[in-house]
Amino acid sequence: MKKNTFYLIFGCIALALLFLFWYSVELHTPLLIEIAFILGIVLVYLAKRTVTDSIEDERDVKITEQATIRTMQVFWVVFCAFSIGAVMQILYVPTFPRQPMGTRPPDLLGPRMIGYIQLGLLCLMVFLYVGFRIYYAKKYGEFETDEE
Amino acid sequence: MKNKIKIFRAMHDLTQEQLAQAIGVNRQTILAIEKEKYIPSLDLAFKISRYFGVNIEEVFISDEKTPTIKDT
Repeated sequence: MKKNTFYLIFGCIALALLFLFWYSVELHTPLLIEIAFILGIVLVYLAKRTVTDSIEDERDVKITEQATIRTMQVFWVVFCAFSIGAVMQILYVPTFPRQPMGTRPPDLLGPRMIGYIQLGLLCLMVFLYVGFRIYYAKKYGEFETDEE
Repeated sequence: MKNKIKIFRAMHDLTQEQLAQAIGVNRQTILAIEKEKYIPSLDLAFKISRYFGVNIEEVFISDEKTPTIKDT
């Protein structure tokens, strides 16, 4: 398969997923989009394996590897720091000075909001990865030009 | 790590694309190695030097002074 054909298939899958997302919202059936998303990603990986005019060599692997490692290094610290705070709030760890018995300090963030923020952090990881990928691609000469 | 890939390419009248295809990497990888932006693995360095029919030391020159067994 040619690289452009792969991009075309990728676009079609993305569009289909968008449609299914809307459809599952209409039906109030989250399972539909969840299964469709997994199947979509599997299809993308299978299609990518058949691309013949694009080579993934050791430099590409190194760029991906470095970007992934750096993303994880930043992400787990931020995610854990936030989650520890959230867990403390859920478990109602006593504050200083101690509150009188039976009075609970006001919640800064509700459990639902904590979930949203964690979801937001997960989404931010994608942007972080893209940023690191661009940085390492530049470092390993991806955007170099030559006289040839 | 310095290298003479550009010189060897010129000697054999090869483009980056032709060399890249011959050893199974992207043209951008050859360019990155030539510009010393990327140090190839030992495996790739051997592939390149074998393709030109020379020893690895003739294509790749290490500018790092490392101690030898005679120094110890």
